[in-house]
Amino acid sequence: MPNIKHKQLLLFALVMLVVWGVGTVAYIYYYPHLIYNALDNAVINNGGGANSSVPVNTLYTLTTLASPSTHNNLAGGNHDTLYTLGVLDLSKGPQVLSVPDMGGRYYSIEFVDPWGDASYVGQRTTGTQAGSYLLSGPGWKGNLPAGMKQMAFSDNTVLVMGRVLVYNDSDLTTAYNLSKQIQLTPLT
Amino acid sequence: MTKSRIIAVIALGIIVGAVLAFLTGGTLIYYVAHSMETNVNGWSTTLNYGEWGNDILLRAAFAQVLSAANVPEEAVYWSTTVDSTGSKLNGTHDYIMHFPAGGLPPNNAFWSLTMEDSNYLMVNNSINRYNLGSLSNLTPNADGSVDIYIQNAPPSGNESNWLPAPSGNFMLWLRAYLPGPAILNGSYQVPPVMEVS
Repeated sequence: MPNIKHKQLLLFALVMLVVWGVGTVAYIYYYPHLIYNALDNAVINNGGGANSSVPVNTLYTLTTLASPSTHNNLAGGNHDTLYTLGVLDLSKGPQVLSVPDMGGRYYSIEFVDPWGDASYVGQRTTGTQAGSYLLSGPGWKGNLPAGMKQMAFSDNTVLVMGRVLVYNDSDLTTAYNLSKQIQLTPLT
Repeated sequence: MTKSRIIAVIALGIIVGAVLAFLTGGTLIYYVAHSMETNVNGWSTTLNYGEWGNDILLRAAFAQVLSAANVPEEAVYWSTTVDSTGSKLNGTHDYIMHFPAGGLPPNNAFWSLTMEDSNYLMVNNSINRYNLGSLSNLTPNADGSVDIYIQNAPPSGNESNWLPAPSGNFMLWLRAYLPGPAILNGSYQVPPVMEVS
């Protein structure tokens, strides 16, 4: 029955073409998720090359600027700003981000969700004065505590990258101590 | 067709289709990721991180080559591996980057020029200097212009403006944090890296 062979080939071609078409779009659509999940895990497991695990909802500040002796895995890492890294897990509730008064010093704290969309706390968006920010995941409906600004994210998992400018070598300790005062605490 | 034969044919179709989807998707992302740069004076930059809107392919391409980069309002980056003539930057040659008076990268935070070798690593050198920029006390020329000397050996009398190069191939990164409007609208031109003959 050659007819059977034809039917089999037709069925195979139909299934293959549908999966190929839908799968290509799905792969491209979810590709940022694959990349950012890997990046988040790299930060959690070894601080993005700093050989130190960084549990979710904690921040880790690199102790030095990137240089030949400190190979860092931050692609395009600079020799200007001290990096602070972490990953938010907002599935059990919001976190509160505290930042110290940076006294006019350039800094930014960049939040990147699994789609690659970035939002910021820092000089450009919020100024350099001290502040508290409520970081909430999707669907959180509590009351915003007085004196806090809200950063609402569309996903419970968010990459955090802080950058604090170091003016010169003798300023490293000051910049490090300021970076260490960027902190996360659960909303109580 | 028997039932088991139908299932086998469908499974094969799914497997082959999935492999093709993976290859096609990966190829498309790679192609877009490597075609979204703009080039000026040998420097390449990507000015629109985060401005992908509903373009899932552009979003995926940025995830591949610029994951967790900054949006342009926060920072703009240029990189180059070649001089003004298109020849590979190499420490056997000396180079000058000449910023005309008033032509340093406009910003509200800082700018810096960073040296990296062909492995994307910063370069060991006798004065532990890995970059130069707005925080470096650069010495201007009499007319207000600024020359940065990019070479392996110290430039006699111009050490304050020396960015040490390795002996082999290298690349340069220019960064402007909180870039000014002239950078964001594309009118600011990064000077070429000129070989000194």
